[in-house]
Amino acid sequence: MSRRSLCNLEWHLLRPTELRAGLCLLLVVACVTIFAARQASASNSGDAPAWMHALVNAPLPEHDEKTDAVLLYSEDNITVQSVDRIHKQVRVAYKILRPGGRDLGNLVIPYRSDSKVLSLRAWSIPAQGKDFEVRDKDAADVAIPAVPGSELITDVRAKFVRIPAADPGNVIGWEYELENRPLVLQDAWYFQNAYPAREEHYSLQLPAGWEYKASWLNHAEAAAQPSGSNQWQWVVNSVPAIKSEEEMPPQSGIEGQMIVSFLAPGGGRTFASWRDMGVWYNDLTRGRRDASSDINQRTTALTSSSKLVLAKMRSIADFIQRDIRYVGIELGIGGFQPHPATDVFAHRYGDCKDKVTLMSSMLKSVGVDSYYVLINTERGSVAPEMPAHVGGFDHAILAIKLPDGLSDGALVAVTQHPKLGRLLFFDPTDELTPFGSLRGALQANYGLLVTEDGGELLELPQLADATTGIRRSAKLKLTAAGTLSGDFVEVRVGDSAARERYLLKSVTKDADRIKPVENVLSNSLPTYHITHASLLNLDRIELPFQFDYSVVADNYAQSTGGLLIVRMRVVGNESSGLLETKEARKYPVVFYGPRRDSDTVEIAMPPGYEVEDLPEPVSVDYGFASYHSKTEVAGNALQYSRTLEIREPSVPLSKVNDLKTLYRVIAADERNTAVLRPAGKQ
Amino acid sequence: MSFVSHARNFGRHPGACLKSGAAFAFACAMAILGFAAFRSTRTVEAEEWQPISQEELKMTSVPEAPGAPAVILYRQVDRDDSARTGNEQDYVRIKILTEEGRKYADVEIPYFRDQANIVSLRARTVRPDGSVAMFEGKAYDKTIVKARNVKYLAKTFTLPDVQVGSIIEYRYTEDMAENYVYNSHWILSDELFTRHAKFSLRPNKDFALRWSWPIGLPQGAPPPKQEPSTQIVRMEAANIPAFQTEDFMPPTNELKFRVEFEYSEQNAETDPAKFWKQRGKTLNSQVESFLGKKKDLEQAASQMVAASDSPEVKAQKIYARTQQLRNTSFEVEKTDQEQKRNQAKAIKTAADLLRAGGGDGRDITWGYLGLVRAAGIEAYPVWVSSRDQYFFNPKAMNANELTSNVVLLKLNGKDVYCDPGTAFAPFGFLPWGETAAVGLKLDKDGGSFVTTGLPESAQSVVERKADLKMSDDGTLSGKVTMTFSGLEALRRRIEERNEDEADRKQYMEDQLREYVPIGIEPELTNKPDWNSSSPTLTAEYNLKVQGWATAAGHRALVPVGLFGATEKQLFTHSERVHPIYFQFPCQRKDDVTIELPLNWKVTTIPAEKTQDSHAVVYDLKVTNENGVLHMTRLLRNDLLVIEQKQYPSLRGFFQIVRTGDEQAIVVQPGMASAATH
Repeated sequence: MSRRSLCNLEWHLLRPTELRAGLCLLLVVACVTIFAARQASASNSGDAPAWMHALVNAPLPEHDEKTDAVLLYSEDNITVQSVDRIHKQVRVAYKILRPGGRDLGNLVIPYRSDSKVLSLRAWSIPAQGKDFEVRDKDAADVAIPAVPGSELITDVRAKFVRIPAADPGNVIGWEYELENRPLVLQDAWYFQNAYPAREEHYSLQLPAGWEYKASWLNHAEAAAQPSGSNQWQWVVNSVPAIKSEEEMPPQSGIEGQMIVSFLAPGGGRTFASWRDMGVWYNDLTRGRRDASSDINQRTTALTSSSKLVLAKMRSIADFIQRDIRYVGIELGIGGFQPHPATDVFAHRYGDCKDKVTLMSSMLKSVGVDSYYVLINTERGSVAPEMPAHVGGFDHAILAIKLPDGLSDGALVAVTQHPKLGRLLFFDPTDELTPFGSLRGALQANYGLLVTEDGGELLELPQLADATTGIRRSAKLKLTAAGTLSGDFVEVRVGDSAARERYLLKSVTKDADRIKPVENVLSNSLPTYHITHASLLNLDRIELPFQFDYSVVADNYAQSTGGLLIVRMRVVGNESSGLLETKEARKYPVVFYGPRRDSDTVEIAMPPGYEVEDLPEPVSVDYGFASYHSKTEVAGNALQYSRTLEIREPSVPLSKVNDLKTLYRVIAADERNTAVLRPAGKQ
Repeated sequence: MSFVSHARNFGRHPGACLKSGAAFAFACAMAILGFAAFRSTRTVEAEEWQPISQEELKMTSVPEAPGAPAVILYRQVDRDDSARTGNEQDYVRIKILTEEGRKYADVEIPYFRDQANIVSLRARTVRPDGSVAMFEGKAYDKTIVKARNVKYLAKTFTLPDVQVGSIIEYRYTEDMAENYVYNSHWILSDELFTRHAKFSLRPNKDFALRWSWPIGLPQGAPPPKQEPSTQIVRMEAANIPAFQTEDFMPPTNELKFRVEFEYSEQNAETDPAKFWKQRGKTLNSQVESFLGKKKDLEQAASQMVAASDSPEVKAQKIYARTQQLRNTSFEVEKTDQEQKRNQAKAIKTAADLLRAGGGDGRDITWGYLGLVRAAGIEAYPVWVSSRDQYFFNPKAMNANELTSNVVLLKLNGKDVYCDPGTAFAPFGFLPWGETAAVGLKLDKDGGSFVTTGLPESAQSVVERKADLKMSDDGTLSGKVTMTFSGLEALRRRIEERNEDEADRKQYMEDQLREYVPIGIEPELTNKPDWNSSSPTLTAEYNLKVQGWATAAGHRALVPVGLFGATEKQLFTHSERVHPIYFQFPCQRKDDVTIELPLNWKVTTIPAEKTQDSHAVVYDLKVTNENGVLHMTRLLRNDLLVIEQKQYPSLRGFFQIVRTGDEQAIVVQPGMASAATH
């Protein structure tokens, strides 16, 4: 499901691997600019440093023939100088093995505007000939362009430089120094990426009296080796690559990493626990939700028409979802700290945490308490076994304390908290998921609940599969010539409805609103003609979204030897080629969320025909998912029904073969046919 | 994601250029002329805000743009090049019609720091009730790119309190650097419908100004006119449709309404015939200068051919040798340092090219021209306008649109066009953009316009031959040979030219996957000839297709369209806005043999299906000989461009193709088997 990212809290620590994709556009911009500036002279060539030359003949880490490059060596040297200053020196060297590895020559060093790149040098050592060198002055400094309706301003920047001769057989490397003014005294060493690594180092120098706490994830812990006064070093060797797979868990949930907190004497600006992190965030947001008279006035206007608390909450949610435009302006601490509710209200725009702030403020004015919940938009990025760290989250939503006695069937994203009672999770940035529900990516996801007592990592509820899905029904008629015609009703709920609404939102003319129906039909019918199409509840997100359409499909049934061969699954595809790959799957399969899709099709047989053969029913259940279909005869009609249930948000590696089998079973069922013959003919 | 996002960057050079990526630098270099200007009077500022009518406030939709998220109610661009420091004033008023349309309240105005500055920015939101929320926030000066000698910035801001029904408007002035004038253009077509637009340009007086509107103007819009008293060129247009992108559409340049301005020296030629004659002479002398003296190349040519060779053989032999020269245009782009280190001497003549053993594609093509002439063959240099970017119109007198060089050979009374500077192009083949393209054939008198040839569809074929066996469970397995010819082979060789064997293997396996409508397991078994200019490129595979036959009660169905996947999603939408544009005529030819299990009996085979729509043809034939099925399929497309009104016929044709491909052969499996999983 490719919905846009709704928010980017800018909480990720800057990781070159993660930012690489996001900075692709910047590369284009930078390439263009550097090309424009070509008349300028390039740096003088210089020899690569000794530490790189020492790697030229180093044995390569284990890799296969599809490996584009290997990481020969890296070191991250961190020197904490004070609570306000951290110095970082980075050295990296790769050997390029294949043409695809040339991309590594497009070096991107991301940083924030509150950091400074003190120096940057990069080299290549060609297999033949002299070394090349590029320096700071050859680099372009680039920013992320505004994204319409999303990020407007952010202080994430990058240095970009092209390393010469980044060709197969050559060794390239770079070295840079960065000075950070940390908002949080924490660092993360991400030592596993798309390339196999031979040897990686991390060293830490702390001021006297400071301590550290290191946590390892997705990799065996390497022992810290003291390397000086209050100085330590860690080394990992032979780290395998993470190869990209479709529908895999997020990178941060599977990569080897060490998260280090720097503990200053007397504490502060770091977290020994999720509780500490919650305290920090609670302090950061203190006073931000204070309502102005304008806010109270507007809240009253929105809610005065009903005495019911639920109706008041819905009115406020609707206001925040519809009237507060998403605009991300995230500079410095603004990446973490929301703007005051008064500002958000006055401008009628803000980012995710701003929307949460204003909504919390308005709820408070009708007597409802609510709390910030920090979360990652990719389930699996944060897990309970992880230490508290700011890099885990990229989004903020709201936990609303439901008043005692309040009950409504539409409030499904609810969990029982031992102290706070029933909490309803709601994402006001998501304009397409109604109040009471939660989109799939946030379900069964871990978020940090922030209260006056601090923070608490808790698992958000997983909704029943029936809350999301497509229910398609059709009443159709078949002629002896094979033409199929009739009416379809397609009801979409939950994320399936949100997805359709999202697609239709970007449609720029009425005539194109039929395209989603055409896309569905063209995947299933070789020829068709839509005689009528309409949609219901496009803007009323609290109601199911519905397509009604009527279709005539010539030559649908194949007429052969007096028989009519009719495919029973008429439209819609549930099978997938996801696991039809040569290479064995390495990671679990992650679904967007649970769902239940169903089809009910009735096909009236042509007069004078009867059934000769029907497909066998299909019934498989693997626990995480099930599929059932059957074809029956009822009077003069064929009745086909099927249901696919995805019950779990992901399938573990041990069960992906079951999923592969399930997809094959579905694929076969989708092609199954019934055979009709003239009545009385044997 | 568009780099300039929704900044209303109407006709200003930076954003427009950046959209086209690497073309930007070249385009800027061509367009940005550092002309001096000496006199000035600034354009008189328009009134702060235009009045807003009740009709505009109450508007909920626009009949000419039903369903639009927003529309431009008014837009004004006033450019003044007459001053020592020129400027452009931009004014935009947008009506927000849907929630999605609110994104137009985020504005980013890009500009180059050393060439311009954005000043006098004003913006406001007018609510549906007419009350106003002025923009009083911060307009951020975002440094998008800062590199050596270049600083590319953006003025970025967002408007307050923007709701459905609001009108947003903003205005700003782009002040140019001193003595900075460039060829501007008015891009009339925008992603939003425009109700009313006004443009003006006060030209620089030291240069002659010429303007054109290559694809015409919006319906009812009078052409730009120059006021005799002020020399200002003005134009107004109304109801300009929103620009939409579609698959198989002609180049954007040929679809967007625009007015282009070009400065040139005073007394520039205004008669196209004379203009091109003059330009042709200049271009011809440049080519002749590159070729140098004929005798310099005669020795080289004589070593490539035998005196007894026919002109055609000579031309082909020289072509083959020329293509062996190192062609830097098709190598991985080198950094400046690498280029400096590798470049021994600049190539200024054909003799330099031969001495250096290579050069860029342009040098190689002109080098070939010199060699064939030295071998006694009549040959001409031709500059063509590649039709992947433009549909060239000589009347526009835009020499920048002549983008590619080719050689015209006169062989046995026939015209043969060659482009040896395009790697892997077989003799007599041009890359598709250069086919059926208008070009200027050069000679000492200036030359004349010609149109290059278009290969017939039979010359660019994807041929798939499969020899397969079906197992009892409905799985197909066997060998497939896929042969790409002509432009189909050329395209693939160019795409993969800098990849290694493992990547090319994956590429070829993916090609086959694309053609088969269900998941398959192909294994490439040969080593295709990637590095030659042979007219064909052949790939051989072992193929396994699981579950190709499906159950139909006690029968099984074997679909006939094994390679029909790519046609399944063609032209599925009923609406069409633009003409339909194909790159080149081509064919798909399939020959599939399937040997059924011994105890299977064929009960029915589909009748032959032929749809001959003249320019597009589909033919499917199935036979059965003792349990061996033989299917032949031809899909021929001789189309290049067809009008939008013919879209329903084309769509109907491909529906027939899909229907044909979905037909199935009905078989009766043996007692012990059924074609199911």
